[in-house]
Amino acid sequence: MKHYLDEIPLYVAGQLESSQVSGLEEHLQGCSVCQKEVTFWRSVSTEIKAANATITPPEGLAERALAGIHEKELPQKSFPVFSRLRRACQQAFSLLRAQSYLIRREIWPTSLGIMALGVITALLSNHFEAIVFIAPLVAAANLAMLHNPENDPAYELVVATPTSSWKILFARMSIVSTYNLVIALLASFALLPIIPPEFLGKLILSWLAPMAFLSALALLLSIWFSTSNAITVSYVLWIVQYLKLSKILDIWGMHSSFMELFWNAYQDFWKSPGLLLVSTLAILAIAMFSTRFSEHGLTQRSV
Amino acid sequence: MLAKQLTMNLSQTTRRTQSKSAELACDLELVRRIVAKEECALHELYTMYGQRLYSYALCLTADPALAEDVVQDTLEAVWHSAKSYRGEGRLIAWLMKIIHHTVSKSLRHRPMPISEEMESNLYADEPLPEDQTQSNEQTALIRQGLKKLSPEHRMVLELVFYQGLSLKEIADVCNCPVGTIKSRLSYARQQLRGVLSRMEEI
Repeated sequence: MKHYLDEIPLYVAGQLESSQVSGLEEHLQGCSVCQKEVTFWRSVSTEIKAANATITPPEGLAERALAGIHEKELPQKSFPVFSRLRRACQQAFSLLRAQSYLIRREIWPTSLGIMALGVITALLSNHFEAIVFIAPLVAAANLAMLHNPENDPAYELVVATPTSSWKILFARMSIVSTYNLVIALLASFALLPIIPPEFLGKLILSWLAPMAFLSALALLLSIWFSTSNAITVSYVLWIVQYLKLSKILDIWGMHSSFMELFWNAYQDFWKSPGLLLVSTLAILAIAMFSTRFSEHGLTQRSV
Repeated sequence: MLAKQLTMNLSQTTRRTQSKSAELACDLELVRRIVAKEECALHELYTMYGQRLYSYALCLTADPALAEDVVQDTLEAVWHSAKSYRGEGRLIAWLMKIIHHTVSKSLRHRPMPISEEMESNLYADEPLPEDQTQSNEQTALIRQGLKKLSPEHRMVLELVFYQGLSLKEIADVCNCPVGTIKSRLSYARQQLRGVLSRMEEI
């Protein structure tokens, strides 16, 4: 005889379809197994109902829900774009503030000191070019120190945070670059005694683009290789352009027009702000992208 | 006696079908008022279903504080998405589905699964009256058996017997096929039956 074991719990709960109910009830009349089953499920049902009956829902939940609803609705009703923008700004600001504590502290006084030395040299020697020469070097050194897993006191923290590493690097870079810009501007203003005021703009422009490019390059190299290598390479690239190559070649007696052409192009590159700024942006994008891979490589090296 | 019981059951069934359509109309009206952002309608909903919502949330979370949060979140979700309820099923089934979803969302962010300790806290043994009868003994056994069930089996029993959901509705709430619910039900039966027969042998 077929039993209705699967249907009985539903029957007891009153959830069996009426078409099945009559068949089951007919069967029940003569089947003691299923009768027992009904009794069993009845007591289960009673027990579950009894256990639930002792549960009382907390009072005032509807009020709390409504309060929650109002709270969330208010800022959204007045300018949704505004509040989102404000939240984004707050997030960016808190990231900047948090990262500003984690940047190596030596950066601030050292670069200020070197810049001050540059200003003094320029003032004493009456050569404003000293600032144009020094500003990119200081900036490059600072940025090369940003990504430095071996010596970063906060490196573990950085790796452990849910904020992606490129955002952190970007935040640090923004802080330090702003600082570089400010001290370079201050240095330029300090030169006012030896340069005519209308020349100030030209002076600023002459270090701005090289500074941006060189520091971006230093940052990228520091991510790829290491801080010290980045500083060395970027310094060499910057200083070498001041050499008079044709004279050196003449002395060595190996004059070549091709080399000279190349050299002129190289020197021109440092003097064309547009090209420099475009390459800066490209290098920065690559740098931000390579943070993803560098982390892994550098951790392996430090192990 | 059995025949009497059966006729009673039959009349219950007919009454239930009548009351079902009345319940549906009542639910639709309530939801319509919530869609119209009538705050007292949400209060009414909580008065009507709060106990069932909370006890199901408690069954799933085994944590009164979390269950409270879940019910609050559910009410907020109801407020915002009341429009999506069009009376295609019973309101209680729709509400259970939201509770279920909210719980699985909040449990995902929990560091640990429900511990056994929490589970046993939930259905704490209440002292039985001193004059234990035979049926009282069986009740105690069933209660113990229920405690030993895993949350997913216990949940199905809860939905069937306390929330009065049909198999289809439960499958919809748990987002799994009807067959799965059926097998969970029969597994729960085996477990409970096992407890009982073992005790009877002793």
